[in-house]
Amino acid sequence: MKLAIKLLLIVVLGFTSTVILAAASDKAAQDAIAAADQARKKAASVKGEWRDTGKIIKQAEQTRKKGDFDKAIKLANKAERQGKYGYEQAMSQQTLKMPSYLKY
Amino acid sequence: MKKILVKTKIQKLTACLLLAGMAFTAVSSVFASPEQDRKSIIEYFETRFVGIPLSEYANGVYAYDTVGRESWEAIEEFPPYEIAIEKGQTMWETPFANGKTYKDCFPDGPAFADQYPRWDKKQAKVVTLPLAINQCREANGEKPLKYKKGSINDILAYIAYESRGKKTHVVIPEGEPGALAAYEDGKKFFFTRRGQLNFSCATCHIQNAGNRIRSDNLSPALGHTTHFPVYRSKWGAVGTLHRRFTGCNKQVRAKPFKAQGEEYRNLEYFLTYLSNGLELNGPGSRK
Amino acid sequence: MVKTIRGLTLSGVAMLLTTALMLPAIQTHAADAVKGSNIEQGKELAFSRKKGNCLACHMIKDGVSPGNIAPPLVMMKSRFPDKNVLRAQIWDASKRNPETAMPLFGKYEVLTESELDKVTDFIYSL
Repeated sequence: MKLAIKLLLIVVLGFTSTVILAAASDKAAQDAIAAADQARKKAASVKGEWRDTGKIIKQAEQTRKKGDFDKAIKLANKAERQGKYGYEQAMSQQTLKMPSYLKY
Repeated sequence: MKKILVKTKIQKLTACLLLAGMAFTAVSSVFASPEQDRKSIIEYFETRFVGIPLSEYANGVYAYDTVGRESWEAIEEFPPYEIAIEKGQTMWETPFANGKTYKDCFPDGPAFADQYPRWDKKQAKVVTLPLAINQCREANGEKPLKYKKGSINDILAYIAYESRGKKTHVVIPEGEPGALAAYEDGKKFFFTRRGQLNFSCATCHIQNAGNRIRSDNLSPALGHTTHFPVYRSKWGAVGTLHRRFTGCNKQVRAKPFKAQGEEYRNLEYFLTYLSNGLELNGPGSRK
Repeated sequence: MVKTIRGLTLSGVAMLLTTALMLPAIQTHAADAVKGSNIEQGKELAFSRKKGNCLACHMIKDGVSPGNIAPPLVMMKSRFPDKNVLRAQIWDASKRNPETAMPLFGKYEVLTESELDKVTDFIYSL
């Protein structure tokens, strides 16, 4: 009897600490998603946004709402990198360089 | 009073300098006039596909896709876009609620597709045919049509059909820096790599035109605009040029731009200019 | 004292267990083991339209309706004696040729690093 209560207490304790940890990573997920959206917008500002970046951010948001913060952060980071790549891709071509196969 | 005058003078001067700066960067970054671009691209295709006459490019990929050409010609015997032309004719002839018709907006119509896209000085932008149609509708109290799917394709199909045989002749009016800037913007769009797959329009439709991606033959940029709107088997419907642009951008995993937004209108201006001299033969049919 | 420590350990275990339940990542590792060798997995990735889609442009043995934009993938070991050079080429082909039509599979993360390893293994085997 005593042991059962103890065990229950332990499980409850374990669960609460997980929840506390989880609460902390919800904030982290929100931050990651915000950063991703900022990167996406920056790419869009130079007409360099990629097709799936917005979708990945939405997925991250849905995953976050379901409580899977680690996966949400992973998705958000992926979207953020896409935003960066799209921005750099556009910026590296700010000055038009005509391909060499066209002769003038 | 004097102060205000001085201020406007400074503003004017700054504006002039800015414009001059823009014109300078436009020229310095490309070193070529629109006519030089067009000639260079024609020369490229003449060297790549020896013996194909320029006029053949009005048939797009079928200029050199001899296998695909046979089934295309068979389809064209019973054109899948015929219903669209008929519906479009009804649209053209049916008066708006206010009693006026499209003809009041477009006295040269219905055979006037060759007048677009064009630089509109008053609006200071490139006006395409679909945009002009909606401007006409709105001026007459009608709702604008959607730009990618739906009944805009009917009226466009009818106008294209009536305009068959006319030639593409896009004009970049001299002394209109805005028009040249719009052309340059479209050109830059065309040659800029975008999307996760890092392709530009030119990667497929100039550099690799005539090569196969899986089993699809890549079409030449030259002649891209002659046959729109187009019935695509893949769509099972007639669609607009900007719908096609959207599809291309998605395929390279870039976020597409808005149909009839500035990006695609300027791209259309550049792309249609390349086809100057080619016969209009829309509506067309494609795989 | 001993009891408290044991209690803490147990609660720690419980915490780990609940956390682990929330991580589906473990499953993927299990799935990997089932699928076979790197070369086989690389082949699947190379042929898949959504992943490598190498067949869009390259002829490859066993591949159906390949494109002809780029050279056939044959004799890879003589063309790329150093496997790392081949991997680098798949990772960012624009380094060797700025006008390449090849997507930057690694740089732009069209494939993950481990997917890229597998594709390299497969291509290198051709």
